[in-house]
Amino acid sequence: METIRNYLETMFMNLPSSPEIYRAKNELWQMMEDKYTELLENGKSENEAVGTVIAEFGNLDELAEDLGIAQFLQQESKVPQGKPFPLETVKEYLADKAKNAFYTALGVFFCIISVCGPIFFGALAEYFDADGILGATGGCSLFVLAAVGVGILVYSGVRISKWKNIGQEHYVTDFSTTEYIHQEMEKYKGTHALLLTVGIVLCILSVIPPMIMDEFSAYSEIWDYCSGAFLFLMVGIGVFLIVMSSMKLDSYNTLLRLNQKDTIGGNYVPNQQNAPQYISEGVAVVMSVFWPTVTCLYLIWSFLTFDWWKTWIIWPLAGIIHSVIKNTLKKQG
Amino acid sequence: MSISSDVIRGYNDTMILYLLWEKPSYGYEISKQIKLLSKEKYIIKETTLYSAFTRMEKNGYIASFPDQNNATGKRRTYYRITDSGRAYYREKCAEWNLTQEVVGKFIMKGERMNGDN
Repeated sequence: METIRNYLETMFMNLPSSPEIYRAKNELWQMMEDKYTELLENGKSENEAVGTVIAEFGNLDELAEDLGIAQFLQQESKVPQGKPFPLETVKEYLADKAKNAFYTALGVFFCIISVCGPIFFGALAEYFDADGILGATGGCSLFVLAAVGVGILVYSGVRISKWKNIGQEHYVTDFSTTEYIHQEMEKYKGTHALLLTVGIVLCILSVIPPMIMDEFSAYSEIWDYCSGAFLFLMVGIGVFLIVMSSMKLDSYNTLLRLNQKDTIGGNYVPNQQNAPQYISEGVAVVMSVFWPTVTCLYLIWSFLTFDWWKTWIIWPLAGIIHSVIKNTLKKQG
Repeated sequence: MSISSDVIRGYNDTMILYLLWEKPSYGYEISKQIKLLSKEKYIIKETTLYSAFTRMEKNGYIASFPDQNNATGKRRTYYRITDSGRAYYREKCAEWNLTQEVVGKFIMKGERMNGDN
């Protein structure tokens, strides 16, 4: 059954997606399925049944005139629609991207926690009243951690550059490969939801250590001094989880977007159809960084003022602004 | 020997309309009946069949509607013949009779074909 499905989907992959072509595909599938089922009922082996169904399928050229796809069928034989992107490469790409997501997130993590060094050593210095050596160590640790973070980011950037032509050249994935990517993505979505939630919760809860440690300061001042370090540590872990998981999810979407949007094969990505088209490139760029920017503004405002009870107002406001922009600057039709 | 698809192409419509004459039917059922009635001498390709459906529907000879199979409960697209489809079928039958009559005059029978002159 799977073989027949693959065969049919591959035949239709590069055709434009129109209601007539969908209907043709579904009707042909109905007939093939019926024939296959009956062959099996008549005691044929699965291989025999698949062979018969495919042999008796015919040729799409017969439908060319009725469906108005003649030019596509000709085109296909003249110029290749894109380089094939086989399943092994897909697996290699996904594995590579997953590793890269980890490295990038780790780099970001080190950059964020680099400020913990000075805070922690500063607290020790304050506590032992020995500013000299401890203060210097703190200053050094900031640069060491930041250097490690940036180093990892550079490494991961260079490491992934071998895949950079994915966005530039035109590749296509066949039906079974697309199906595989899609299934893998669906499987990962649960993990993604969990990691994202934990990441966001950690970022929000990061204000708790300073609050609690404030209370401990009665016992020992050192708690109060280094409470900021814990805040950044929690934010660092939270951001690590968010970045890693989002990047991994993004790699599936990148692959699913390889097939041309207006063909049957490209219709596989539901969120691709939903992605709105904007009137100009500039708007599209602004919109793509809208939510990260809002998040940054929220965090900056919150951490600068610690007025958490009123900074949340950014989110509903941003939501309204986002839908206003989306609806007014969206490309019509 | 197998039948040449070029020759039979003009008569796929006739076969389909014949099978729809009594009651509506769906894709696989029709292809099965064609295979059965022709004693497996002609097996219609799926694409040929679907192409005939769309063409005849466009010309108004048949109409399609979705329906559920009583036995299996599976939903399929059914086709039924229209009045102009019946008229078209009669025309095609007359045409075939004529074709057969004319071409028949030039088909050798029996011993004569085996001789050299």
